[in-house]
Amino acid sequence: MANKSYKARQVRRAIFERTFGIAILAMLSFWLIVNLIKAPSQFAEVTLIGLSNGVLYALIALGYTLVYGIIELINFAHGDLFMLGGLFSAHFIALWFHQTKSSPMGWLVFFLALISVMVFCAGVNVFIERFAYRRLRRAPKLAPLITAVGVSFMIQFVGLRWNGSGQKTWNSVLPHGSVMLGSVKLPYTTLISFAVTIPILIALTFIVTKTRQGKAMRATAQDQDASRLMGINVNGTIAFTFALGGALAGVAGLLFQQTRGLTSYNLGYQLGLIAFTSAVLGGIGNLQGAVLGAILIGLIQGLNDGLPIGLGQQWSQTVVFSILILLMVFKPAGLLGKQVTEKV
Amino acid sequence: MAISFLKRGEKKQKQSASARKWAISLTLIALAIWAFFTYFFDKTPDAVQSWFQVWLPPSTINESLVWVICALGLNIVVGYAGLLDLGFVAFWAFGGYTAGWFMSGFFHQVNIHFGSMSAKVIPGIHLSFWLVMIIAALIAGFFGIIIGAPTLRLKSDYLALVTLGFGEIIPQVFTNGENIGGFNLSNGTKGISPIDAIGVFGKRLGPFDLGWKFLIYFFLAACMVFVSLRIRGGRLGRAWLAIREDELAASMMGVPLMRTKLTAYAVGAFSGGIGGAVYATHVNGIFAERFNFSISIILLAMVVLGGMGNVWGVIIGALLMAWINATGLPAIGDTFNNTFHTAINFPSYNFLLFGGILVLMMLFKRDGILPEARLKMISHENDDEAANTGGH
Amino acid sequence: MSSILSAENITVEFGGLVAVNDVSFDIPEKGIVSLIGPNGAGKTTFFNILTGLYKPTSGHVMYDGQEITALVPHKIAAAGVARTFQNIRLFGSMTAEENVMVAMHSHLKASLATTILGLPSQRREERAAHEEARALLEFVGIGKTAGEFARNLSYGDQRRLEVARALALRPKVLLLDEPTAGMNPQESSVFVDFVHRIRDEKGISILLIEHDMAVVMKVSERITVLDRGEKIAEGSPAEIKANPRVIEAYLGKGVGAGH
Repeated sequence: MANKSYKARQVRRAIFERTFGIAILAMLSFWLIVNLIKAPSQFAEVTLIGLSNGVLYALIALGYTLVYGIIELINFAHGDLFMLGGLFSAHFIALWFHQTKSSPMGWLVFFLALISVMVFCAGVNVFIERFAYRRLRRAPKLAPLITAVGVSFMIQFVGLRWNGSGQKTWNSVLPHGSVMLGSVKLPYTTLISFAVTIPILIALTFIVTKTRQGKAMRATAQDQDASRLMGINVNGTIAFTFALGGALAGVAGLLFQQTRGLTSYNLGYQLGLIAFTSAVLGGIGNLQGAVLGAILIGLIQGLNDGLPIGLGQQWSQTVVFSILILLMVFKPAGLLGKQVTEKV
Repeated sequence: MAISFLKRGEKKQKQSASARKWAISLTLIALAIWAFFTYFFDKTPDAVQSWFQVWLPPSTINESLVWVICALGLNIVVGYAGLLDLGFVAFWAFGGYTAGWFMSGFFHQVNIHFGSMSAKVIPGIHLSFWLVMIIAALIAGFFGIIIGAPTLRLKSDYLALVTLGFGEIIPQVFTNGENIGGFNLSNGTKGISPIDAIGVFGKRLGPFDLGWKFLIYFFLAACMVFVSLRIRGGRLGRAWLAIREDELAASMMGVPLMRTKLTAYAVGAFSGGIGGAVYATHVNGIFAERFNFSISIILLAMVVLGGMGNVWGVIIGALLMAWINATGLPAIGDTFNNTFHTAINFPSYNFLLFGGILVLMMLFKRDGILPEARLKMISHENDDEAANTGGH
Repeated sequence: MSSILSAENITVEFGGLVAVNDVSFDIPEKGIVSLIGPNGAGKTTFFNILTGLYKPTSGHVMYDGQEITALVPHKIAAAGVARTFQNIRLFGSMTAEENVMVAMHSHLKASLATTILGLPSQRREERAAHEEARALLEFVGIGKTAGEFARNLSYGDQRRLEVARALALRPKVLLLDEPTAGMNPQESSVFVDFVHRIRDEKGISILLIEHDMAVVMKVSERITVLDRGEKIAEGSPAEIKANPRVIEAYLGKGVGAGH
């Protein structure tokens, strides 16, 4: 009898979750349709903005998801690494190579910056892992989490010293202007964001699914001790994962700095949280999920900020975090994730 | 059985004696500080006075006590129950705005007075400080349960994230709260100021009655200490610690996880609300931009520095960090810059300092700066016991 | 003899993989029974079903005449099914005494308010709980360690503390998950007497998961053998020793029959 009522409870819960999900989706679609009818071309434009935000979030979200997937740590410092990447790119392009406008030389430097910032951020991330998180791998879970928060603050300090306390604006070496698709403006910067991000995402998928390193990563994520017994270099694999995540954050930093033209020491904290929400939305630990979640969050945020009927930009963060909280309550495993139980 | 019963009693006495020693000495120190600033400060030489103004101004002392109240609240959540709450600032904000709503002329549409000493003609809601504190605690506790109930069944790191999001949303709601559907909830970025004076013994405490405020804040902090220690020693405190140590084993020993965690979260939120209301009376206003993430982190650093779950350690951690934050860094900076003719912006180093404390403590001294006093006491007790059994 | 805890036709699947397949099993009142089997036989999974940590795909768990299959773990524990862990799971930075007192949580009545106020009823209850904890520590033979942090105890004492903690639930059934792991033969034989003492003095029924065959044969009144999630044998120690399927399961095919 009790068993049945337990099952019944589960079924009820599932039905409730589904109804709730459908209700939210219905409200969302209603809101979108009203806006679409009211201002179709604006709708298309903010959708594009949302998409280009989304790919940026995806780059950061992947770093969270990679690290969480392998050592179950929310790396709070990851967003700040993105901020550091932006600062590095700004200095690299504008101050060290004196490129402040769109030119062939500028594009070359942009390409050099892309490679340098990946190496730089990967290095920083590996350094953090080596000297902070590695020592705490077997400590109670609270310890590495608190450490990550501390590291986040320390990186923000570096940003504060490097960038100053205010926002700094920079000239981009990317071409200005946009192509017109009918009545919809498609900025070049958005196109370039896609052109940089998509190959990187494909390369990442290849690395994780096809290479030896990728297999080692997945094995380590499953069971560290067993992997060690099978001759996998667990420390090396974890460091490699941090390097991958760092490199992606670096790319995101460069793209953000070049497309928005600004840097600020606390950017990483804000965008990092949004990116983490994306990772959770997609199902943390799941790479495709992170990209999907990031694009959804980017879209929702873009639409909320830009549409005539919406809460507007000053509620942007509240909207994103409300999604996070609702998600945690009703579907903590995310869209593509799966629930796991603890081993005894 | 009878013998062990006696021994038990002795130990209890010893334990409470040690706590009493702490309590008495802290009270004496507090009274001495109060007496010094109230009666003797004016009579001291100018040099001494200016030294205090630079290194230990009375307002910093009061502010540190506010931090102690909140840090002890967070200590219950993080230190006792092991739930990482990164959005404690939200409860602080609730407490603050409760004071703003019920202790000022903010709601000028109405004119409600109850137990407050402000003039009856001033519009707004004016309730007694003590009543407001209870309301603030209840509101914060209520929201603590609202946010905690659904999230506490998740894994601990998810909780950290949800609370972080919560700590972002609430201040944003207050910052944007000037016009929520035509209703002014929070006066937006302008904030609510001034707050009614606290009334004690028929006396209204103005902004310069720091000595009286010091005594009130000290009393509240002492209450927090008392409550923390009492709970720690009882059934609930043991359950919290067990959950912190090993959640699964705790549930296998009959501890209901959800309810126990939720209690910890609610008690923490409750004290956060008190802290917020007290802070509002300390700065004589509520300003939305003050409720930011760094408050949550500073509180966490206080708890970590003092040793999670170690009440006396957390008090010391809170006093130390609050002093550094409010006075220490600027004062050290000025002295350093004047001596070496440099222009280093010391207060901007607080990010490094608080972040560094979190990292270094976690890496090298996870038990905090104060070693657990219990250990020492117990080793002595074992000596006694060995002597006793020898005599049988 | 009536049974105090019984599992009826338990099947557990993890994502299509059958970990336990249609196993029924009884713990008689005041009996000492063992569950044995090679690694990966599903013993610990079975334990986790009994204590409510996992829910079976099908089947029922009955305790003291009531179905407990769907109850959450802490309710099953409070009802009187206590356990220890294969890899010791004590509350490291609490004292031995506190560890034991945690398990009294469900018996104690003090609320937040009575604790803060320190009402006489709460004080009396606390004092009694202290007494009981001390007595339990004495019972398992580590009375002197009451004030020490659990993590500072020796391995053997930690094992004993786990038992004391489990007994503080005032259980009717005690499940011991590989209690002699890491003990030398001498300690193991002391342990066998200890298990009998728990049963005889406290009247508690006991289920053991055990690898050490010497211990199993000495202590058990009945033995159930699992292999790859299936029950392959059940009976007295002597019967199990002579059972060809058991020998085969332990030594592998060909060895048992071929020689």
